[in-house]
Amino acid sequence: MKKEKNTKGRREFLKVTLGMFLSGALTSCDLSQLKNPRTMIKSPIRPNILRPPGAVPEEHFAQKCIRCGRCGEVCPYHSIKYFDVKEAGVFSGTPYINVMEKPCYLCMKCVYVCPTGSLVPCSKEDVRMGVAVINRQICVTWQQQKTGLMCKTCFDVCPFAGIAIKIDHDFRPYIIEENCTGCGICAYSCIADTWYENKGKKAITIMPIKWKKIKEVSLKSVKNS
Amino acid sequence: MARKSFWKRITIWRYLFLLACFIVIVGNPFTNYYWNINFIQGWFQSLGVGNLWVVSPLEGLESILTAKAFYMPSLIGMVVPVTLAFLMGRVFCSWMCPIEFLSLLTDKILGLIPKWGTKLKYRPDLIRLPKKLLWFALVTELMLTMIIGYPLFVWWSPPGLVGRETMFYVFYKHITVEIAVVVVVLLLNLPTRRFFCRYLCPLGATLALIGKWRQLVIRYDASKCVGCKVCDTRCPMGIKPSVGESQSVYCWNCAECVDACPTNALQFTWRDKGVIKVPSASMKEVKL
Repeated sequence: MKKEKNTKGRREFLKVTLGMFLSGALTSCDLSQLKNPRTMIKSPIRPNILRPPGAVPEEHFAQKCIRCGRCGEVCPYHSIKYFDVKEAGVFSGTPYINVMEKPCYLCMKCVYVCPTGSLVPCSKEDVRMGVAVINRQICVTWQQQKTGLMCKTCFDVCPFAGIAIKIDHDFRPYIIEENCTGCGICAYSCIADTWYENKGKKAITIMPIKWKKIKEVSLKSVKNS
Repeated sequence: MARKSFWKRITIWRYLFLLACFIVIVGNPFTNYYWNINFIQGWFQSLGVGNLWVVSPLEGLESILTAKAFYMPSLIGMVVPVTLAFLMGRVFCSWMCPIEFLSLLTDKILGLIPKWGTKLKYRPDLIRLPKKLLWFALVTELMLTMIIGYPLFVWWSPPGLVGRETMFYVFYKHITVEIAVVVVVLLLNLPTRRFFCRYLCPLGATLALIGKWRQLVIRYDASKCVGCKVCDTRCPMGIKPSVGESQSVYCWNCAECVDACPTNALQFTWRDKGVIKVPSASMKEVKL
């Protein structure tokens, strides 16, 4: 009799624990993000969310990467972060750099630790994480008539100043797309969001490169045609 | 016969080795984050020591299968684990895997419970499945990988997740939902010891497959056996060394039976040194 009681209590306890565990696991999953099944297989790379330097084309990246996390561990600035399974599906665990939180400073440590060749060793100049695009409606220097400001912060911080970013006679910056590494330091340090009319928008966005298209259509051929 | 003295037990060295591996895996995010010492990076998916690195064979294979491209450093990184499996079989699972460390820890903690301790520690298996399920797990894993087109085991590999969650916690101050995999694996451990390792682990299956031709085996000496069957109760993989199964593919060389054997009938040997005999049933009957 006594023994039976004991087993009953244990069973109750096990049931309650299991139930608590399951309900906790279920509530911790934010199912609203799973609404669109396409997000599970669509690449989460978008403007300002870029792959680390030296990355292979995006269509091969998630297949080559074995999610060992070594690039993030060696990154001295902790710029490299990893996608979550809820937001990126099969791309979960692959590295990315959000240039608005912390840009890449091109120390090139991560490319030498990648074991599968997802990040291919290359020199600083050859990095093509993306291309910076200046929104001239927002840039305070391009709108000097209105703002009366002369900023050139992006020109000062660019590691390839004078090569990737140039400024014209009115100190207005413009990007040389062929030389831009897409490191995102300019986008990160842009001060346009402090100008009250811009409502927190930055003037520079780093657009991820469609690798094939850039290679096929170089800028020169566009100019000539 | 008395038990072997403390330091002569092989399992003690196994526990120490497991502990050291666990400390390396869990500790390296801390050294990387707080002191910027990058000497050791990563975890068992790819562990980098200095400028050298090893790549886990299954993850590397999946990466090759889905990307359809070879990368020399990756292949070279796979040489070390594959050679280890060729020589010693599935020793990664029993001597290095952090999941094995955690399972062992839960076993030891269960063993501390007074009165029930030993019974819980060497509990009989409640759920028994055919051992061939291991190969099905490997094939299913590879098939799913090929169908989906993205490596899957890199994402849910339990030994990798232990390192990954630690790294996420240290670097980004949050853990991800994948920790559920580790919890489930450890919970499955309760009804049947090493349930996941026995039946479901694709990485274990890969290593076991390579280790089929291993050199280091546990040799069963029928002439010394007294038939006490302590080894059968101690084996965490649920195989029976007392009928010579210790030389099968499913043995992972953890040396639990070697230490439990009161008459030293089970011993580690290199395969080329001695003839390996699987005792026949008739021989056993004569002995008994």
